[in-house]
Amino acid sequence: MRSLRVPYSVLILLCFLFVIPFIPALLASLGGVWRFPLVIPEGWSFRAWEAVFRENSGTLSAIWTSLWIALCVTVINVLVSVPAAYALVRGNLRYRAAIEAILLAPIFVPALAVVMGIHLTFLRLGLTETVLGVVLVHLAPSMPYVIRAAMISFETMNRETEQAAQLLGAGPWSRFLFVILPHLRAGLVAGVTLSMLISLSQYSVTLLIGGGQVVTLPILLFPYISGGDTSIGSAYTLVFSAVALLLVISLDVALRGHYKKKGRSRV
Amino acid sequence: MKKVVLNGTLAVLVIAGCSEQTAQQEIDLNQEWSTFEEQAKGTEVNLYMWGGSDSINQYFDNWVIPRVEETYDITLNRVPVTDTKEILTQVLDEKTAGKNEGSIDIMWINGENFKTAKDNELLGKPFSDKLPNVQNFVDLEVPQIASDFGIPVENLQAPWGTAQFVMTYDEARSDYPKSLADLEDWVQQYPGKFTYPALPDFTGSAFVRHVIYQEVGSEVFFEEALMEREEVEELLEPAWTYLNAIEPYLWREGETYPESLARLDQLFANGEVDFTMAYDPIKAAAEVQNGRFPETTRNFIWDEGTLSNTHYLAIPYNSPNPQGALVVINELLSAEAQAAKMDPANWGDLPVVELAKLSEEEQQLFSAIDLGEATVPIREMEQNRLPEIPSIYVEWIEESWLEHVAQE
Repeated sequence: MRSLRVPYSVLILLCFLFVIPFIPALLASLGGVWRFPLVIPEGWSFRAWEAVFRENSGTLSAIWTSLWIALCVTVINVLVSVPAAYALVRGNLRYRAAIEAILLAPIFVPALAVVMGIHLTFLRLGLTETVLGVVLVHLAPSMPYVIRAAMISFETMNRETEQAAQLLGAGPWSRFLFVILPHLRAGLVAGVTLSMLISLSQYSVTLLIGGGQVVTLPILLFPYISGGDTSIGSAYTLVFSAVALLLVISLDVALRGHYKKKGRSRV
Repeated sequence: MKKVVLNGTLAVLVIAGCSEQTAQQEIDLNQEWSTFEEQAKGTEVNLYMWGGSDSINQYFDNWVIPRVEETYDITLNRVPVTDTKEILTQVLDEKTAGKNEGSIDIMWINGENFKTAKDNELLGKPFSDKLPNVQNFVDLEVPQIASDFGIPVENLQAPWGTAQFVMTYDEARSDYPKSLADLEDWVQQYPGKFTYPALPDFTGSAFVRHVIYQEVGSEVFFEEALMEREEVEELLEPAWTYLNAIEPYLWREGETYPESLARLDQLFANGEVDFTMAYDPIKAAAEVQNGRFPETTRNFIWDEGTLSNTHYLAIPYNSPNPQGALVVINELLSAEAQAAKMDPANWGDLPVVELAKLSEEEQQLFSAIDLGEATVPIREMEQNRLPEIPSIYVEWIEESWLEHVAQE
């Protein structure tokens, strides 16, 4: 992939825009007293960080629960979205526009508007307070993005490559694995990343469906940032951002690296 | 990738299999207390509560949870929520869906949330009078305990802690008025040195209720039949007269009010005004400790007493472990737990147990706690408490203040 040359000044500006919001959070998490006229907090304390990583704080297990849920959500998303996007782009579907609109609807309809109904249904099905229930409810806000990302990939792929492979004797599976999937790479990286991040950041639906028994990172974080202890809220925010950032970077490296190697040897 | 997918689905299926429901057992509250302790042994109790304060969370994680584990062999899970309404939504949905075994055993509520829970019949049987520690140490008949913002409690929730309104001043800077009648003279003598947060600020609104109690009296607000809005508006007039009379002598000549308690605290800390206030009697001591307020900061309460409200613990109707809930709530009302809760090192919340009802040894637990020099002695506060009025009136008062005081 050849990258555009970006002037350093733009890069520095971007870094700044990205880093600046974290500075107050970092200061607040370390600050003893921070009131209005003070530009930086008075005195330093590790109280907030101690609270976050205290033995019984549950932070680590919440991180694992969050990641596990995000992973399940993403795997299901990919398994459902790739065929769905393929059908939408390639198949000659009747009512294609309508189906697409329904699949993408969760982007436009806020999750909370439907979650009450989902909660009642899940209660009847015994899915509340389970990781499965939380995974299912996270699918709604994240799947549209994965479908969208996969659709764009299919749209930019010309049909001739596939037909050429078919003519050379490739069956549907090898066509999918060696022709389609490598082309989907860029789109899937975007979709997978979004799906992970959306799942990681869900609060209200996780609390309601998880019934407080499925403790993810936002469940611990939110009580502190809305009207609670802002120092601890800031510390949790930084932990959350670090988890999200590490996840995005490792996903990017893993997925791109994997297919780069494959791409070179097979095609 | 395939392996991960397989593991994922497997785990997901296993978890789904575990969520079968059992019917809730009926519980007879008139049994010997020891049978509850016996039945609760080795069980789990889920306590859902607001989780935004680290000191409250720590009180549980470091003190309560180990204690009930050791004493009763009960595993207490503290589930943090951002807003207590979320807990009620969950129970309400469970009720709608007919789920008779929920997940919440104890919830921390009061005021508006209690009203919602009671109106929707989300609470179990009346239980608080059955708890030994309530029978021994708590007077359930006291108005500020018997009614929760004007709603009769009817033993549906057990009182757990108390908040009380206090005024704060700086001993080194000024004297203080003993009553609201004194305040009227005081502001004329020292113009510009007093103000209160603009309503609907929670604390500013409480200050105004004191004025109403003084100018109007409180009895009419507690009559069983609720008043119409117009009646209330008419009643409130003397209070507005009082507040408009002091207005020209307030900070910035009353042209504007601090928009929040935080702003008033700021003005007090900077020495712009001589008073601040709080619905939390231990806050001033904490602010002295962290250096925000001067060492000479002191609290005082009006001679007529100050407003106080109680916060409670309730058991939802579909609690999976009501016996465990009873045992834990009873333990939270023990002298030891109440004293530990009052210790500012843990939380700093006033007890509901009456000190006079405790043994000398137990009283010692409370007197040993250093509440900071700024704090009014706990006995003095205990004897000067006024109950809160129904929350519907509070809303009307706030709107009416805007019209009659802020805009005139």
